[in-house]
Amino acid sequence: MLPTLVVQSGRSAWKGPFFVAFPNLRQALDNNIPIKTQARSCTILPNFVGLKFLVHNGKDYLPVSITQDMVGHKLGEFAATRKRFTYRATKNK
Amino acid sequence: MVHILGVLLPDKQLVKFALTHFYGIGRETASRICARMQIHDTCKVRDLSANQITSITAFLSSPATAPLLQRYSLAAPDHVPPRFTDPIPSEEATPTDAPQKLSIGDRLRSIKIESELRREVRENIAHQRNIGSYVGRRHAMGLPVRGQNTQTNARTARKLNKVERYA
Repeated sequence: MLPTLVVQSGRSAWKGPFFVAFPNLRQALDNNIPIKTQARSCTILPNFVGLKFLVHNGKDYLPVSITQDMVGHKLGEFAATRKRFTYRATKNK
Repeated sequence: MVHILGVLLPDKQLVKFALTHFYGIGRETASRICARMQIHDTCKVRDLSANQITSITAFLSSPATAPLLQRYSLAAPDHVPPRFTDPIPSEEATPTDAPQKLSIGDRLRSIKIESELRREVRENIAHQRNIGSYVGRRHAMGLPVRGQNTQTNARTARKLNKVERYA
């Protein structure tokens, strides 16, 4: 991760990035099991690369596979919470 | 009229405001550049000497490789300032022989202007788009990125927010 990313995030540098410890990280990486989580605010750390997550968007768990470029971003950035508006004609008038 | 790196600086403007014609230079940076080039506060563009124009051009063409600031020796602890009535000594402050160091606060060396800065902005947007984050998606849709309202307005976002941003 770029050292500046912590600084640019507006968070104090001495705290480091905010992240949630996943106890089953090693196991998930070995067995390619997605980690189901609601921790959208968890920063993606360099050791998450290659993992698969199922990130909660308030309703469902959306699959997110972590690449090198995503390091430093949050998990929630990759699971959209809003649905695009589509017009549906009402069935009963 | 003075052209510096393809940017036209109007003659009648103060240098500290004329420099803001560069994309990436605001008032703060402009006055810092003036201070470094030893251009006084009320100097207008038409009053600039050829040397000063050359030094500004040299600095702006590659801020990262600009010469380091000269270090001047400080007064010794036992120095007694001359009395007010004494004539002004003719000798000027001379740079010390101490090795020049890059000062941490020298932010002017890291500025990016014009096409370099535009490219950086484009790259940042393309990065967000490539990893498929929310920010990148909002750029692709031409909508505000930071939670602003979209029921009305959002004109700036519709104009500017694109993956290939032109401004």
